[in-house]
Amino acid sequence: MATANMKDVKRRIKSVESTMQITKAMQLVASSKLRRAKERALAAQPFFAALYDTMSDISNDPAFKSIYTKKKMLKSTLFVIIAGDRGLAGGFNNNVLKLAAQKINELTEKNEKVSVIAVGRKAVEFCEKRGYDIVGEFPQVAESLSIVDAEDIADEIIEKFRCGYFDQVDMIYTTFVSALSQEPVAVSVLPVEDISTGVKSSSLVEYDPSPEEVFDGLIPQYLTGLIYAAVVDSFASEQAARRTAMESASDNAEEMINNLTLLYNRARQAMITQELTEISSATLNDND
Amino acid sequence: MNTFKLKIITPEKIFYEGEAVQLIAKTAAGNIGILAGHTPYVANVVPSPLKISENGTDFRVAAVSSGVVKAEKDLVTVVTTAVEWAEDIDIARAERSRERAERELNARASDKEFRHAEQRLKRALNRLSVSGKK
Repeated sequence: MATANMKDVKRRIKSVESTMQITKAMQLVASSKLRRAKERALAAQPFFAALYDTMSDISNDPAFKSIYTKKKMLKSTLFVIIAGDRGLAGGFNNNVLKLAAQKINELTEKNEKVSVIAVGRKAVEFCEKRGYDIVGEFPQVAESLSIVDAEDIADEIIEKFRCGYFDQVDMIYTTFVSALSQEPVAVSVLPVEDISTGVKSSSLVEYDPSPEEVFDGLIPQYLTGLIYAAVVDSFASEQAARRTAMESASDNAEEMINNLTLLYNRARQAMITQELTEISSATLNDND
Repeated sequence: MNTFKLKIITPEKIFYEGEAVQLIAKTAAGNIGILAGHTPYVANVVPSPLKISENGTDFRVAAVSSGVVKAEKDLVTVVTTAVEWAEDIDIARAERSRERAERELNARASDKEFRHAEQRLKRALNRLSVSGKK
């Protein structure tokens, strides 16, 4: 009985060890990907800041109007949901999708029309399962999103927005707070919130051909930048979440191996003790 | 010669940062040239060759996609989604995307796809013409 038990324990130790190898490797991969993703997120900031400055300068003009800033009756909303392509990242996908479901439910309860654009395989799967009205899906882009992909998504949104298919566009993604904490957030994309700083800037700036047209012409870049930044941010969060999850998985595996080794040693000891008892009792019997 | 600070920014990186004598960009209305001391000015840039001169005589050429050019006191910023130096353009890739766009245009797809393909064709043609091989 003891031998059978020992074999079992030995097999379990082996399997936990190989699991730990995988989780350790994933942890390492995630940390190096996280570093790169953070660099990318940082590099995207000047672009966005420059665009934002220009746009808020323009909207400081009280006479300024654009179809992208007009608030309309909320009747139909588009959600851009950004999640990961893969699982095994702790609560990363679950948290952001839960927030998405909650936001969508709030609106559908009020009988408002909701459409979604799903970015990342997990988001696509989630929306399909829930039966949402999907107007665009972009699986497998999270890791290597290029500007062209972001432009495609932005084009899609702008076109539908201009045609009046929806009058509000929100984006739901995970933002990177720190290596240990990532938070799902919902931000409003269109109409562009009032971004005027209130300071009346020098109206000496010459807009060619007009402030409105410059502003409207900037919208595709603005949206592209916003989407790009969100996907990069979400990817960094995914890697951070995966690293933490894999770290604790590796820790757990190590603990399990320690416990199992203890068990194994005990079983071995018990077996030896038993054998000794058997031998000595046999000798005793012989002497009789 | 008077110089001004020029910055070209894309989402991926700051593509260029340095002193320049002249910048030539194409807006919806046509080519504009910017020299030091330009009046504050903002305009949209269309996909086109962007010419930068650091000494006043020679121009370096880059292909830009749509974006915005902004002239402030002593600083000119070009913000664009994509930009490449003429010598860095992958001609084979541009050629491929041109072919693809042309094929899609000929396929007479929906309005939206048509416009997408048209934009892609414009981008590809711009990159090809900037790289000197059309």
